[in-house]
Order: sequence, then structure tokens, then C-alpha cells
Amino acid sequence: MVIRALSNEPCSASLVSSFPPLPLKTSASATLSDVDITPLSGTSEGVTLGVCSHVRDFHNSVVTEVFAQRDELLCQMRVLSSDVVDPSVSTQTRRRRHVSDWISNLSNALANSGWPRTARWRITNFGLVLGLAVTVAWAVTGAGYFWAGWVWLGMVVPFALLRTVRRALRTQGPRPLAVHGAVSLVLGATGIFVWLLSGLRYFWPMWLMIGLAVAFSTHAWVVPLFSSDREQALHQRVDVLTRSRREALDVQEAELRRLERDLHDGAQAQLVSLGMNLGMADDLLDTDPVEARRLIIEARTGAADALADLRSLVRGIYPPVLADRGLDGAIQALVLAAAIPVQASIDLPDARLSPPVESSVYFAVAEALTNVVKHSGAKSAWIQVRYRDGMLTATVRDDGLGGADPTRGTGLGGIERRLSAFDGTLDIYSPLGGPTTIYMEVPCEL
Amino acid sequence: MRVVIAEDHALLRDGLVRLLSAHGFEVVEAVEDGPSALTSLIGHRPDVAVVDVRLPPTFSNEGLVAAIEARRQVPGLPILVLSQYVESLYARELLSDGIGGVGYLLKDRVMDVSQFVDAVRRVAGGGTVMDPEFISQLLVKRAADEPLSRLTPREREVLALIAEGRSNAAVAAGLFVSEKAISKHIANIFMKLDLPPSEDDNRRVMAVLAYLNSRTALR
Repeated sequence: MVIRALSNEPCSASLVSSFPPLPLKTSASATLSDVDITPLSGTSEGVTLGVCSHVRDFHNSVVTEVFAQRDELLCQMRVLSSDVVDPSVSTQTRRRRHVSDWISNLSNALANSGWPRTARWRITNFGLVLGLAVTVAWAVTGAGYFWAGWVWLGMVVPFALLRTVRRALRTQGPRPLAVHGAVSLVLGATGIFVWLLSGLRYFWPMWLMIGLAVAFSTHAWVVPLFSSDREQALHQRVDVLTRSRREALDVQEAELRRLERDLHDGAQAQLVSLGMNLGMADDLLDTDPVEARRLIIEARTGAADALADLRSLVRGIYPPVLADRGLDGAIQALVLAAAIPVQASIDLPDARLSPPVESSVYFAVAEALTNVVKHSGAKSAWIQVRYRDGMLTATVRDDGLGGADPTRGTGLGGIERRLSAFDGTLDIYSPLGGPTTIYMEVPCEL
Repeated sequence: MRVVIAEDHALLRDGLVRLLSAHGFEVVEAVEDGPSALTSLIGHRPDVAVVDVRLPPTFSNEGLVAAIEARRQVPGLPILVLSQYVESLYARELLSDGIGGVGYLLKDRVMDVSQFVDAVRRVAGGGTVMDPEFISQLLVKRAADEPLSRLTPREREVLALIAEGRSNAAVAAGLFVSEKAISKHIANIFMKLDLPPSEDDNRRVMAVLAYLNSRTALR
């Protein structure tokens, strides 16, 4: 359907950039076979195949991509919409959902009901020829009362209705309202047309138009009142997703910069100086073996430093023990390395969780534990990590002074941003005087 | 002395072969993945083996797994495990059988040839060699920890050295004090850490790990 909208335009490169926004409530079952690109190869719009074939190939790939993305998006939105709406919401909501599903199905059917373009063109041409024929007949028969106008009306009204409704269905706003508006417009125009044909007497279409306008504005006023919880929830959801996606990208970007800087200032510089030392040692080997030896030893120290740097860098990217042993082993390793005694209770499934989730939870727990050691003054800490019903939870508790504030410093805020990329949450209970409990929760399928 | 090497990087593998051969070891086999490492360890029963933690096919901790399995089948088979990073968890697993003849070193240590060769010999002789970084992790990070904070700086130095698998004589030489003084330090350390004193090299490292384990009840 999207693509038909596209193919209404003549072939031009701007098509790609002027993609109409993807409607959210369309059928996820649309496939490439729905894609109608006949006008591109047809001659009805005066476009030759030769000029356009490469553009069409490009279109095809773009089209495939867009469909794939849209289907995925729709799938996600479906899942989300079923997620965000509590199933226990009143039956009214549920009924409304049925109605809206029904409307959505109907509108999809309507939207997809267009004939193939060539057929449509043939019908349009037929209509034009017929209209001209009756007009000529009217003129030949004395050009009296313009009865041919009624033939025109009969042909134009269905066509206009189809066009406007189809256009309305592509709206981003509420579809029923858009369709209502489209139908009202066509009805109003029809009224004026009929008034014109019936002799320009008393302007009765005024009442029709007022009626339509009142009905439409009532609809427009009522829609937001009853706009379902689901829609609002979806809107909020989209906002949250937009924000968390941006934040996740920012975090990633910052991490990459840090890596680049660390490599540049650390290992790279050390290797350069190491190579330099070895080169000088090579020069001095015959003339000054003592100095050469000193340089070689220095080079060896440099190599060891570079290795140590790289090691800490690698730990920061993806701790090797996490790669080897998963979250369970990695948290045990954290516990072993902690500066204060830590008790850990880990209850995770044997199957590995998704690596990005594992890594974000690992870094979150590591950061929380670092905070405990650095700031809380705690003597001991407890970690509990478990997986239940698609939810991974981690709790880090200490016996310290409390008063942890996520708005100060970047540590806890960083954890929160990191987790939010997976719809995870972070809760901190840290009254002054302690103790502090940090509770993390990330939904995660196996 | 017969030695088996398991290392997947060709450069490092060849380097190790050359290095150990040059120091009088006989390299009976140099393998490059986990399964063949296990086969070779069991088959050859070398005097000592040098095994990389991360090996194909999974490139996780195959080497460590092979080492532990080989030592399960052949208790006390001397194995020195090399790694790009030191992980307390792995050290604990390696040492958990309580038998000596095991080592865990950073790959960096290969650069100091004489120390490395010395470490291989100590493992072959049934000693326990832990990387200094692991020891310092243990000591520095746990400085805030109460029992360890009872140790004097000198006692910590001694603990670090004995955990590296050094004999009393070596520790004494390293710290420029008499062997008798070292024995006294060690006795003090064990007392302060509430551990029964022992003269045995391995049991001393085990004591450090027992201490580590006692403070971290897992699961």
C-alpha cells in the first residue's frame, strides 16, 4: 500500500527521499507481491523502460527493505501494544480494541482494494471517453438541459470517494476521523454539484455542509476524549523508546571515543616507543652493548606496560570471564575480586542469556559494587541475581552509610541508561545513614 | 624434562617451543586446541605442560577446562596455565583439588625468560605458582578487609612471595633477611589469618585461597 502511494508519482529519484511516512496501523501481512510498480515500466506516463529500469531495481531493493523494516516495526508495535496494555483493563477497552481491529481490517481491505494501476487507468480512460461521448451527445441533441452532468456525477463520485478515502487511510493521525473527513468532503462536493445541476435555486447544500461540519467536529472533539488507553500508552511507549535508543547510542558513541583515546594514548604510543627503543638497541648493539641491553630491557618493560593497558581496556569492553562463563561466572569473579567480603546468591538458567543483556547487567552490578566499596563505607555486601519468568533481576545491598544519589556523578546514571536500552529499570533505596539497596530489573527472553 | 605445549597462536607456540627447548626442555608435543590438548596431556603424561586458557574451538576457557580435566584423570599432573588476564575464579578452580604442581601466569611473564623458565621448573617440581598480579589483587583489594589489615607490610610482602610459590630460602633472599626471620613471618601470617601453620609450599598457597574462599560464600 505504501508502495502504491509511491507509484502514483512519476518516476524520479526524489521518490526515494519522499517516502510517505509509514502508517503504523497497516496489515503486517503485506508482502512484496503487494508492490505495484507497473507504471514505472508502462508507457501511460510517458516513461520508458530503459531510463527507469535501474531506478526500478533500486526501488525494488528500497521497497523490500522498507517492507521488511515496516513489518518488523509492526511486529514490535504489536508486541508492545499487547505489553503496555494491562490485560486486566476493563472489558470496554477490550471491546473497543475489537472494534478498532475491525475498523483497521476493513480499512486495510479498502486500502488494498484498488485495481492494478493499468486496469485503473483503463477504467479512468473509459470514464473520460464515456463522459466526453455523453457531453457530445448532449451538445448534438441541442444542448438543452445539461443532463450529461448526471452521468459525470455518477462517474466522478465513486472515483473521488475511492481516491480521498485511500488518501485518508494513509494518515498518521486517527484513521476513522480522516476517513470521516474524506467522506464528508466528497458528500459536500457532491451536494454542490447536484445543486449546480439542478438549476442553482435555493442553496440547500448549505444545510448539508453545516450538518457534515457539525458531525465532523463532534467526531474530532470526541475522539481525543475516548482515545484509548492503548493509544496513549503506545505514544508514551514510542517516546520512551525514542529516548532510550538515543541514550543507548550516545553511551555507545562515548564508549567508542574513550576506546579510541585509550588505544591512541596507551598501547599505540607504548608500541611506538618500544619499536624506537629496539631500533636504537639494534644500532648500538656493536658499539655500545651495555646501552643496547639497557634499551632492550626498557623495551621489555614497555611491552609489559602495553599489555597491562590492553588488558584493562579489554576488561572494560567485554570482560573475558563474561565471554567464557556467562553472567554467573562473571559475577562470581566480581565477588572474588571485591575489596570487601561479598555474598552472592546467583540463580540463573543454564542457557546463556542474550549477550548484550548479560553485559549490561554485569557492568551494572560491577558499577554498583564499585560504588559500595568506594563511597558507602560498607563492611560487607550482598548480591542476588536471579531469572524468573523472563525477568532478570539483580540486587546489590550493603551495610554502609546510604545517601547514594543517582543524580550526582555519572556511575548510577550510566547504569540506568545502559539498562534502559533493554527496558530495564534501576531503583535505589538509600536513606541517609544507610543501608543502600540497588535493585535492577531487565526483561529478557531466553 | 618432557613438556607439552597447548597454545593456538602460531607465533607464541613456536616461541614457547624455542624458548623451552633452549632451556633444556624436550617439547614432546605442541598442540593448538582444547580437545587435542587433553588427549596430549593424558597420552604423554609430560613432566610439565604449558597451556593457554583460551583455545579453539570455542575460544573461551577450553585450555583451563582441559587442564582441570587432565588433572582430574591424572592427579597432580603439573600444568602451568597461561592467560592474557588473571581471573581469581580460574585460580580457585585450578587450585581446588588441593594438589600442587599447578601454575597460573599472565602471558606477559614469558617476556622475562629466566623467571618464566624458573616458574615452569617449580610447577614441574610440584610447586604452585600464582601470578604476582593475582596475588596483588588478592592483597591490595582486600586491604580494607579486616584479617588482612592485621598483617604488617612486611608480612604482606612475604605472603605475596610465598603465594607465588617461592621457597622460604627464595623469599629470604628476595627480601634480604634470614630464612629464620621468614619462618617467623609466615607463622605470624598464618596465626593472624586464623590458619594452621604449615611448612609445605602448596599448602601455603592453599591457605591463601582457603582464606579467599572463606570470605566469599557462593550460592
